[in-house]
Amino acid sequence: MNNYILLPIIGLGVLLVAALISNMIKYEGGANPKDPRKRKIVFWLFFVLNPLIAYSVGLAMSPDAGIAKTQHMQSLPVGLGIGVAVYFLLGFAMSKAMKTSKVGNWF
Amino acid sequence: MDDQLYVIGVGGTGMRCLESFVHLCAIGMLDGKEINVLTLDTDANNGNLKRVKDLITSYRRIKSGTVNDGGTPNRNTFFSSKLNYYHYHTNYMKQGKRDNYRNLSNLSGQSSVEDENQMLADLFLDKDTVQVFDLKHGYRAQTHLGSQLMFHGLVEAAKKLAKGTNITDEEKSLGEFIDKLEQSGKNSRVFVFGSVFGGTGASSIPVLPSALKEAIKIKNEGSNLDISDVKFGSTLLTSYFDFNRPNSTQKENSKESVIASATFFPLNSQAALQFYQGDPTVQSVYNKLYHIGWPLPAKKLDDSKKTETITGGADQKNKCHFVELIAACAALDFFTASSVETTGTAKYVFRTGQYENGAFNFSASDLVGVEQNKDQKLISKLGGFLSLAHISLSKNHAGFGEKGFLGLKRHLENQNIDSFKTSITEADLDELDKYMRSFGYSFTDDGAFKSGWIYQIRNSIAPGKFIFTNEAFAMSIKELKGLDVGKLFEDPNYHWESALTLSGRDTYQPWLKRLVNIEVNTEEHQLTHDKEKFIALLHDGIMISQQQQN
Repeated sequence: MNNYILLPIIGLGVLLVAALISNMIKYEGGANPKDPRKRKIVFWLFFVLNPLIAYSVGLAMSPDAGIAKTQHMQSLPVGLGIGVAVYFLLGFAMSKAMKTSKVGNWF
Repeated sequence: MDDQLYVIGVGGTGMRCLESFVHLCAIGMLDGKEINVLTLDTDANNGNLKRVKDLITSYRRIKSGTVNDGGTPNRNTFFSSKLNYYHYHTNYMKQGKRDNYRNLSNLSGQSSVEDENQMLADLFLDKDTVQVFDLKHGYRAQTHLGSQLMFHGLVEAAKKLAKGTNITDEEKSLGEFIDKLEQSGKNSRVFVFGSVFGGTGASSIPVLPSALKEAIKIKNEGSNLDISDVKFGSTLLTSYFDFNRPNSTQKENSKESVIASATFFPLNSQAALQFYQGDPTVQSVYNKLYHIGWPLPAKKLDDSKKTETITGGADQKNKCHFVELIAACAALDFFTASSVETTGTAKYVFRTGQYENGAFNFSASDLVGVEQNKDQKLISKLGGFLSLAHISLSKNHAGFGEKGFLGLKRHLENQNIDSFKTSITEADLDELDKYMRSFGYSFTDDGAFKSGWIYQIRNSIAPGKFIFTNEAFAMSIKELKGLDVGKLFEDPNYHWESALTLSGRDTYQPWLKRLVNIEVNTEEHQLTHDKEKFIALLHDGIMISQQQQN
């Protein structure tokens, strides 16, 4: 599978993990609860982790040598960029579409 | 036509029983009822009186809409009863004129009738002690004196009301209460809370029905109310608490020559019960008498570190005890019975509880029986209200001085439940928090834990059990903040559905989520304004959660 497909899929997977963890953060009580901030931190933490994870996977999936490897390595940054964009744009869309849910705290 | 309901709390013990009764109304055990509450005391500054007055005031504010009228009765929610509050206290404050029996009776010996009356008084009331002690803190277990004076107090107030001049607030309030009683006539049920071993309650219970009859006759000339048509019930509450004995300084003070001593309470109780069993007047006016006692050694209830007896006043603010809850359930039984027998002879009733290893373990059925599933209703409602108290106090930090219900309301607004945004003010929510602190707990400014009603009730039977787990009564801030509000019950059938979180399973999260999807049925609950709707929303969320199980 090439990087233009693989890395965006990883971005989506990382987004789902961020959503799962955000959902498991309890609503806190009181007039100034801190849980919305915790969920924001989770989103941005995985925003940073996403390219790192994707890059590691991309490296691991690289052919051993030759033109295939060169092409794979050349497409890696582009795939990373798409993966980051997928994470951010889908995350933004989810947050706005599900404003009253826990992921609504992301934005 | 449903009977109109009246509750009279007499004296310190009566006030504490009334406190438990108000909480039973708050949890929703007297759905749809309107109850007229009269506090009757000799001591206007009594700490127990102030506490129950503040509680009833808070209850009424919670229920009121735009006008502070105590709201309307609702169905199947918290705070579902309407409480109308009346108050009366006798006046023994005027030094030299009304401060003791001798000055009040003013038997100056200017006629032969007065001479005879003085001799009669001397026969029953010791002239060097009983006739001269200061009455401002009550009758101090001198029930032979107290019965006469309480009767006199009510009749005197009625005469003033009939005359219509210089009426005090408390006389006006008493007048409104007895007018209402007269109007409802034979469709009335009156329940009297008081002890039989102390001063004011013990003095008043035997004479109240006839005193009320006399007061109505005087105030509303031409009234043809036959008081025997009114159904009366009362607690026969025998000794269950202890307090400091009088010290030598107090005993030497002639104004304090008579001081109630807890040493004699068991004897007083025995004598009182013999009286209630044999007296034909009591037998004929009361329909039902609830004998409530406490067989274990009396617990010391005064908080004070003082080494003298507190005779009354603001310092008399005793902790709550389980028997007061039993007394409140007696009133509940009297009010919710489908009919009250009027055979002309009082019926005596009692309940028992399981006693094991030196402690009582009470079930809900021990308090309210099993008819009409009242026991399950008590577990569900009391547990639900305790959960709500913890939601406010522990989850939303009202117990630690923050604004609990405001935090909850803001959360609901974030979930697009914003119909209460402008109609419920911060002051309204503060009142709810205040009530929950009285019910549950709070922390003082210096960080000390302060038990509210339900904690005190439970502590009075500890290590015995009553419906809830030990965890439901956590006292440290760490335990309270981590408390699971839907798992307070001994019976796991009442536990709420839980969800997995990063710190383990929790019942509060699914409850919050559930609130978003609840449509409150205004008609079914008989709601009239948004405050009641808000409370009904929280109530319905809790009741549904109790029915959903993992």
